[in-house]
Amino acid sequence: MTTATTTEGSGRGKAGQAGLSTAEERAAARAPEMELIRQAQAGSRGAFDALVRQYEHQVLRLALHLTGSEHDAEDIYQEAFLKAFRYIGNFRFECSFYTWIYRIVTNLCLDQLRRKKTRREDRSVVLDSSGDEIDVLASVSDERSYSNPARELDRKVLGARIQAALGKLTPRERMVFELKHYQGLRLRTIGEMLSTTEETAKNTLFRATKKLRTQLAELRS
Amino acid sequence: MNCELAHERIVTAAYGELPDEQLHELDRHIRNCAECGTERAQLLALKVLAEANPVMEPDANLVARSRQRLEEALDALPPKRWYEWLSQRMVNNFASLQAAPIGACLLLIVGAGAGVLGGYEVTQSRAARAAGQAQQTIVKPTAGLQGAEVSNISSISRLPNSEMVEVTYNQVVPQRLQGSLDDPVIRQLLMMASQNSESASVRDDSVGLLVAECRAGHSCQAAGIRDALMVRLRYDQDEGVRAKALEGLQPYVAEDVRVRNAVLEALMNDGDPRIRTSAISVLEPVEADTSVRQVLHTVANSDENPHIRTVSRQVLSRVPQFQ
Repeated sequence: MTTATTTEGSGRGKAGQAGLSTAEERAAARAPEMELIRQAQAGSRGAFDALVRQYEHQVLRLALHLTGSEHDAEDIYQEAFLKAFRYIGNFRFECSFYTWIYRIVTNLCLDQLRRKKTRREDRSVVLDSSGDEIDVLASVSDERSYSNPARELDRKVLGARIQAALGKLTPRERMVFELKHYQGLRLRTIGEMLSTTEETAKNTLFRATKKLRTQLAELRS
Repeated sequence: MNCELAHERIVTAAYGELPDEQLHELDRHIRNCAECGTERAQLLALKVLAEANPVMEPDANLVARSRQRLEEALDALPPKRWYEWLSQRMVNNFASLQAAPIGACLLLIVGAGAGVLGGYEVTQSRAARAAGQAQQTIVKPTAGLQGAEVSNISSISRLPNSEMVEVTYNQVVPQRLQGSLDDPVIRQLLMMASQNSESASVRDDSVGLLVAECRAGHSCQAAGIRDALMVRLRYDQDEGVRAKALEGLQPYVAEDVRVRNAVLEALMNDGDPRIRTSAISVLEPVEADTSVRQVLHTVANSDENPHIRTVSRQVLSRVPQFQ
C-alpha cells in the first residue's frame, strides 16, 4: 500500500486509524478494546490474542518498512507483543492502546536502527549492468507489475537511493520521518510515542527533510 | 515572517500540520519570496521521491509465521504466581495514586475541612445545649430585670478591650402555695418565714399562725415550733413578733425548763416594758420556783420601769417563800 500524496496539506493517514469525527464516537469505538484490555490484564489469553490480531498488521508494516527485512520485522513483532503481554498490567488507560503498543514498537525499531548503524549490515548490494552498486531490497516483495524491466530497475535504483538517504539520518530522525511520511501519524501522536513533545517532533521532521533534500539533490535534478 | 521560519512552516504545511491562519500567512510570504517558493517545490519533490520507497502490506505468510511464533512463545511462558499478581496490583494502585496527586490532595483537604467543621459544629451545639440547661440568659441592660428578684450576684467580669461587662447572678422566682396549717409543707414554710424573712410583718404573721396552732392543741413539738418561738422571743427585732412568740410559749412554761428560762431572760433583758410585763404574767404557773423568785427579786429592785417593779413585788408577796 503506497502513500501517493503530493499535494500540500494532505499528508495524512493511512495506517490503521479510524476517521471518527467526535470524541464521543472515538470513546465508544474504544470501549470494546478497553474491555479486551481489562480481560487481558486479568489474564485472559484469548483477549490478548484478539488485541494482537487488531494491531499485528500495523506493527509488521512499520517494522518491515523501517528495517527492510522480513526476518527483522518478525523479530520486532515477537519482541513487541511479548513485552506487551508481560507489561499489559501496567497499562493505565492514560493513552490509547494503539499509542502504547506503537511506543513499544518504535523503541524496538530505534534500537534496531542504532544497531544497524553501528554494524552497517543488512544491505544486500548488487551491481547493475553499468557497475553501480544498488540495494535490491530483495526481502521486500513488490506486487506491482511492470512491463518495462528498465523502468523496474530504475525504480529499484531510486528506492535504493532513498533507502541510503534515509540511512544517513539519525535513528530518531528516521523514525519521525517514517511515522510522519509513511505511516501518516500526527506530530502530536509521534511525540507521545517517542516520549517527547509535538514541537520536538516537528523540529526533528524539519531536520530530517532538510538532510534528505541535501542527500537527494542530484536525484531531483 | 522571515525565511527561516517560512522554511520550517513549509515542512509543517506539506504534512498538513499547519493551522489555517499560518498557512495563509505562509502563502502570502511565498508569493513574494522566490527562495521560499523554491524550498517548497523541493520539499514536494522529496515527497514524491520518497514514494519510491513504498510501504508494503505484510505478506500473509509473514503474518501467519509471526503469529504462530508469538503463540509458541506465549505458551512457553510460565503462569504468573499469586505474589506476582499481588505485587502487580499494588504497583498499579500506587501508580494510580501517583497519577492523581492533585485529586488525592484535594480529597485530603476536603476530608480534613469537613472533619474540622463537623467537630466545631458538634462542640458549638453541645455548648449551646449546656448553656440552655443552665438557663442563663444574657439580659440586655435596657430590658431590665422583670418578673423575678435577684437573689445574689456570683461574678462580675469585664470583656477585654471593650465596654462590655458580664454579670452572673441568680434569680428568685416567686411561687405561691395554698394549704392547711396541718400541711407539713405549710408548716415548714411558716417556720422558714419566722426565721429568715426580712419582713417583720411576715415573721409576725408566721409566728402568729404557729402560736395559734399550738394553742389550738395541734402538735407543736415534732415541728420544732417551740424552738422557733424561743428564738423569736430572744432575738427578733420586732416587739410584736416577740410578744406573739411569748404568748405562744405560755402553755409550755410549766413543763419545759427551757421555755421558763427563755421567758425569764425576756423578763430581765427585753427592751419593751410590755413584753417584760407579759413575761411576769406568763411565769404565774411557776412563780413559786426558786429561779423565778430570784429573777423577780432582781426585777423588783432594778427594773427601770416602776410598774414592773410594783408587779414583781406583788407576785413575790403573794407566793410563799418555799413551795
